Amino acid sequence: MKQSWIIAMREFKERVLNRSFIFMLFLGPLMVLTLAYFLVKANDQGKKELNVLIADPGNIMEGVISSKNNGNIHYYFVDSYLEIDEFKLGKDYQRFDALLEVNEKVLNNKKVFVFYRDFLSSDTKNSIKFTTERRIEEVLVNEFTNLTVPKFREIKQPLNMDFRNINDPMGIESKTEGWAGLFFGGIIFLFIITFGMSILRGVSREKSNRIVEVLVSIVKPRQLMIGKMLGIGLSALFQLFVWFGIIGAGLWVFQNYIFTEFFVSDAYINMQLNEGTNILNNQFGAMHQNEMIELIYERLNLAIILPVFLVVFILAYFFYGAFFSLIASASGSESDGQQFSIPIIALLLFSLYAGYFTVLYPQSDFSSVCQFVPFTSPVVLMVKICQGYPPGSGYLLIVSLVTLMISTVFMLYVAGRIFRGGILEFGHSLSLRKLMTWLKSD
Amino acid sequence: MYYYDAMIEICDISKSYQRHLALNNISAQIPSGEITGLLGPNGAGKTTLIRIINQMIAPNAGHLRYKGELLNQTHLKQMGYLPEERGLYKSMTVGNQLLFLCRLRGMSNGDAFKQIDYWLNKFEVYNWKHQKIESLSKGMAQKVQFIAAIVHDPEFIIMDEPLSGFDPINVDLIMTELKELKSNGKTILLSTHNMQSVQDTCSHILLLNKGEKLADSSFSELQKKYQSKKFIVRYRGTKIAFANALWTDFELMNQEEIEEGLFEAILIQRGERSVDDLIGNIKGHVSIEFVSRKRLNMQEIFLDLVNNENSEA
Repeated sequence: MKQSWIIAMREFKERVLNRSFIFMLFLGPLMVLTLAYFLVKANDQGKKELNVLIADPGNIMEGVISSKNNGNIHYYFVDSYLEIDEFKLGKDYQRFDALLEVNEKVLNNKKVFVFYRDFLSSDTKNSIKFTTERRIEEVLVNEFTNLTVPKFREIKQPLNMDFRNINDPMGIESKTEGWAGLFFGGIIFLFIITFGMSILRGVSREKSNRIVEVLVSIVKPRQLMIGKMLGIGLSALFQLFVWFGIIGAGLWVFQNYIFTEFFVSDAYINMQLNEGTNILNNQFGAMHQNEMIELIYERLNLAIILPVFLVVFILAYFFYGAFFSLIASASGSESDGQQFSIPIIALLLFSLYAGYFTVLYPQSDFSSVCQFVPFTSPVVLMVKICQGYPPGSGYLLIVSLVTLMISTVFMLYVAGRIFRGGILEFGHSLSLRKLMTWLKSD
Repeated sequence: MYYYDAMIEICDISKSYQRHLALNNISAQIPSGEITGLLGPNGAGKTTLIRIINQMIAPNAGHLRYKGELLNQTHLKQMGYLPEERGLYKSMTVGNQLLFLCRLRGMSNGDAFKQIDYWLNKFEVYNWKHQKIESLSKGMAQKVQFIAAIVHDPEFIIMDEPLSGFDPINVDLIMTELKELKSNGKTILLSTHNMQSVQDTCSHILLLNKGEKLADSSFSELQKKYQSKKFIVRYRGTKIAFANALWTDFELMNQEEIEEGLFEAILIQRGERSVDDLIGNIKGHVSIEFVSRKRLNMQEIFLDLVNNENSEA
């Protein structure tokens, strides 16, 4: 094991001291953060500071609505009618983004017009509608009933209609979480392709420059293979940790300095509503919050997902890495090795498809099977754990992991035998017969 | 030939690759503290035997002993190996490359640094220590590879064509080094096609052909065993008298006058003839100054053995 470790350290140093590795070490997470920034921004499109002028000739709204607690929406009042053209062209009104017209008939016809200059996001529209509706509601309750506003709202609770799939009566499915799982699976896929090819090239190069002849005279071929895979795997893990570290720090910066408004929603809503039911609160929250932010910071159980991800990542790396080692050692040349790696890459792509399918149809038989097949389980498993296992079926995760672990050990054994036979053969053409001979040889 | 202090005992080793028999029931010994020449034409099974000794491949039958013990993984640390196909990590510096191999052989960092500096200084290449292998010429890299095979102070060294790729100056350097290693008690297995180097350095010869052992003895024994059919005669007299004296027992191959009245002739025997027979034939016809059976060199013995074997087959 010590010799494998020495080989691993050489591989590790060779990679991490490589300029392109160092470059990607920082560029990769910065790209992810930039992408996340634009995704959040795109998701939050139109959520800029907004000045809304309320034309309220009947003084219905004055005193019951203010700008203080409305986040990025600021309300101003004018107690007269305002022609649209005047609002559109008038110098005094250019600083307003929207005109909210509340005439006296609103208490009867419940009709309010909002004229905007630039397109408003649905979130902003909902916010304006919600705020205005709540204030008008208060006026209506005071004017036409003897009820207090809280009592009225208690009675008025909207019907909470929850649509659920007959295959998922517990409501455990969530596409968004599934996509996050696919993202984790995608990271595994990306690292396996990158570092698997690195194993392939490394072994092929050692074969072609014949250093392998010296190495195999000192250590057993299996030790060489394990050392090589371990070293490359450690560099992959190192890159992954640095990526997670930088991305984590970036998300913290997003949370505390860039997208601060998304993290005060509860306080914001409470101040806005003063009182009200939880359902309304939740509805408004769901309306208001940015889904990406909510997913990353609240809905994903990262305390479980990240350790499982790490285990799956390591097992999947060694499982697929064994194939890449096997191919590289058994091939007569580097170009042969690249050709024979295509089926493995196809299997990896298939695993990504299986993960995608699981996002869409988590309860399907196909995804149920794929979570136990070692070729697809790394991606499918990540999707499933992000979606969450139904109560009582957590053992499926253990079964998947154990299956993957046994398959990995088996593949390392097979690859080790073929590696031993093939590593010292050069310039031959690979055949199934040769593989079987190496596999059977003592 | 049996040595009581054999470094390696090869016992009934056979190895085949699919239908090709690379080694057929080979038994031999590599004596301690000697340089053994492993000879044979291409495809004789030399590399297979070296790989079996290095435990890179396993034999189909037979076993090996290392200083009396069954050969195992722990013995590899005591071995040095210079393969025929040279290979180094091109992106590593000379120093790091040697350090890596020393560490794999089980040396501590401190010992490794000492040994590396010693050998780099000995070969007067210390200034290459921080250079990358890719920046060295082929000959320079060969030298590094040679150092890599002996840097960990092994007691048994396998050299597969150590002289290939070297210029005459470096060939001389390597030969001197091999002799010095031998004088320091190291056991060396030298596989080479350079017969002169075998004759100069090897005290023991193991000759293979087509997976079979043709010879396993010292060079002097080989010379005794495979006597030349050629004789050298130096005489004073006339050419006609000398030629007549040979009768049909010997054939004159070549003759030249090396000084006035003194001739040197090379003869080849016909049938089983000795030096005594030759002297008996020419005595009285010419004045004999020198008669000797021509000694075969390694090249001639090698060709003789291999050609005989191939023609019999």
